[in-house]
Amino acid sequence: MGNNVWRRVWPPAVSFVAFVALWQLSCSIFKIDPWILPSPAKIAVHLAEDAPAWSRHLAATLRLVLSGLALGVATGIAVAVVLHLMPLVRSAVSPFIIAFQNVPIIALGPLLMIWFGFGLTPKLILLTLVCFFPVAWSMLAGLGRTEPHLREYLEMIGSTKWDILRRLELPASLPFLVSGLKIAVTYSVSTAMWAEWLGADKGIGYYLIIKFKGYDITAVFGAVICIVTLSLALYGLAALLERRIVYWRPRSRAGRAGDAK
Amino acid sequence: MSKLELRNISKSYVRDKKTFSVLDDITISVGEGEFVTLIGPSGSGKSTMFRLIGGVETPDRGQVLIGGRDVTGVRGLISYMPQQASLFPWMTVRDNIVSALEIAGAARGEARASAEDWLRRIELDSVAGEYPHVLSGGMQQRISFLRALLMPRDVMCLDEPFAALDALTRTEMQRWLLKLWEDQRRSVLFVTHSIEEALTLSDRIYVLSPAPARVLREITVPFERPRRADVWTLPAFTALKRDILALLGEGDGDSDAI
Ligand SMILES: Nc1ncnc2c1ncn2[C@@H]1O[C@H](COP(=O)(O)OP(=O)(O)OP(=O)(O)O)[C@@H](O)[C@H]1O
Ligand SMILES: [Mg+2]
Repeated sequence: MGNNVWRRVWPPAVSFVAFVALWQLSCSIFKIDPWILPSPAKIAVHLAEDAPAWSRHLAATLRLVLSGLALGVATGIAVAVVLHLMPLVRSAVSPFIIAFQNVPIIALGPLLMIWFGFGLTPKLILLTLVCFFPVAWSMLAGLGRTEPHLREYLEMIGSTKWDILRRLELPASLPFLVSGLKIAVTYSVSTAMWAEWLGADKGIGYYLIIKFKGYDITAVFGAVICIVTLSLALYGLAALLERRIVYWRPRSRAGRAGDAK
Repeated sequence: MSKLELRNISKSYVRDKKTFSVLDDITISVGEGEFVTLIGPSGSGKSTMFRLIGGVETPDRGQVLIGGRDVTGVRGLISYMPQQASLFPWMTVRDNIVSALEIAGAARGEARASAEDWLRRIELDSVAGEYPHVLSGGMQQRISFLRALLMPRDVMCLDEPFAALDALTRTEMQRWLLKLWEDQRRSVLFVTHSIEEALTLSDRIYVLSPAPARVLREITVPFERPRRADVWTLPAFTALKRDILALLGEGDGDSDAI
């Protein structure tokens, strides 16, 4: 089992270490100006020194992202179930939702700021909207794509609509919901950055802009690393959740059975 | 007297703006504790008949009676075992049974107790907590049958439950089902393509024509209960088999008989 994990981990680990080493070496060999490209060591030192500042900003962003995700996922699920149960409403509303989804967030962000000011509200609305769509749409697809023979079985034994929803459609759509969630997670961090760039007084995006304006390129790199790490961590959590939720699926490869625990 | 009765049932479907008659004036019955089999060519409308009995669809003409009451188009009165085991992959074996019993109105605790009791009786208690995908096809069908058996319904409808199994497992399953059924004596309507299977299991057989299906002949199977495992060696068995083959039109009804 340990062997399996190791076999999956070492190739990216080695390439990562090699990349950092190459970066460090080029910085010292070619004497690259830290204004242009700071070395990994410099960035690390800076991250350590400025930890209280960036961690406060990162926490603010994390709060924003998680609240937006929670709201987006909740409305996504609710809307998907309602549209699924009411085909008429679905055909009436879905063109609007799709059209609305294509309003560029470059326009949406500033508009929300105009309507709701510079506080938390417009950012939360923006994040909720961005997370809502992938969740609602994959969930809706999942609800409609249940095994016909399972549905036939439930109908034959006289299940109510509610039984079919609860015992077939909802559980069957969970894997779809989680893939929607994975997309929403990746959108959420970049949208939060965009929202903080538009106007904020805290958040890691705000921190990055301040450092940019002060030409503190080392700090900018540090902030980028924080943001990427946050993104990856959230995605990792979603992937973990996926494994938890689709536990019933036969593992496709024997090698994956071992590291499921 | 009879648990299930179809009276003068006709049904047609409209496809590509043309009307296809599937069932033509079908009248059949299943008595209390009787094992009745429908045998007929593929596409003759057997599954359609089940959908009518289950109330999932309504006939163009005729009535469905259960326990003497007209229940045409009423759902939730039968238990059902389809060709594919149709177990829910995200539920354990035990929960699959419990869930079906809950749909039939049982309380959770009661359903659980009865599922566990019966899994023990059929010696499958060791897989009660497993997910269906780890079970063999034969085991899945046993669970599926048990799920149908435990539902507190008047009639069990079994639609080619063994068609997807290999010949060896199938024979084994027939014996298993026969023994369980002879203990329980539920009213069963069974569909198969296999003449041997029909003769081995049933009290009565309805032979159907190709679509639109009519009842070509009703055969009372004369072999005693409990059925002997070697019932197929009897001359009467062979004679009946020949009769049914002739009715189904040489050869084409027997293609997947074992
Ligand atoms: N919903 C439907 N719409 C149109 N035609 C249908 C529908 N359901 C069934 N049919 C047609 O009715 C006929 C009978 O189908 P049915 O499934 O009842 O046959 P069957 O006797 O169960 O066949 P098999 O032995 O292969 O399972 C077929 O020709 C089929 O194409
Ligand atoms: Mg059929």
